[in-house]
Amino acid sequence: MNQSQLHEKLTSRSHPVIVEFWAPWCVPCRAMAPALEQTAREFSGRVELLRINADEHPDLLRDLRIFGIPTLLVMVDGKEIYRRTGALSGGDLQAIFASALAGERPAPTLRPADRFLRGGAGMALLVLALALPSQPLLLALAGGALLFSAVYDRCPVYRAVSAWIRGRIS
Amino acid sequence: MNQWINESGIDRVLRVIIGIVLLALGWGGVVTGGWGVFLKIIGFVPLITGLVGFCPAYALLKIRTNKA
Repeated sequence: MNQSQLHEKLTSRSHPVIVEFWAPWCVPCRAMAPALEQTAREFSGRVELLRINADEHPDLLRDLRIFGIPTLLVMVDGKEIYRRTGALSGGDLQAIFASALAGERPAPTLRPADRFLRGGAGMALLVLALALPSQPLLLALAGGALLFSAVYDRCPVYRAVSAWIRGRIS
Repeated sequence: MNQWINESGIDRVLRVIIGIVLLALGWGGVVTGGWGVFLKIIGFVPLITGLVGFCPAYALLKIRTNKA
């Protein structure tokens, strides 16, 4: 299958398609497979999963500039709206399938541990900056930036601005 | 399951704590002069590498404290 054949296959679908590029020897692919199949079953009839063996279609990978597997392409109306390389958790897969159904890119998510680490470090820097007699602005700004980075994915202003920027770029 | 994260959880927490301590020593005036300036800057290194989870030095030396 080449890129135009894949495109033809995808444009004939009435619902979103998630294309997974995998290989039998790929350990992360095998690790992700049960969660991917489970998620595909949950979204069956609404989002389709198309699995392509990378070993059998090297030209297609080259045409699509796929350099690592597993890679998921989210295709809506035959157009790629999102791609992600690397093994994903069940939660991440659910988010990707749900966003494909909505026809939009998945919102970025942070793991709780990362959120906690960023928030804690941000708070510590802010407190440090405020507690010091010189109240260094750089530390306060760094602390504020870190604190925001802990919750940016939930900020409606950030989402609106980033969606606008992506709309301008694409 | 990000493969580029080469630091374990404990490694990351320790780095963040050490970074904040170094910054506190530098910016708080506990260490002054050239060393104080050095700490003010170098404190960001363990802080940022701990938050990001990726250490370039680890990558060069092919070390991974994250066994996942």
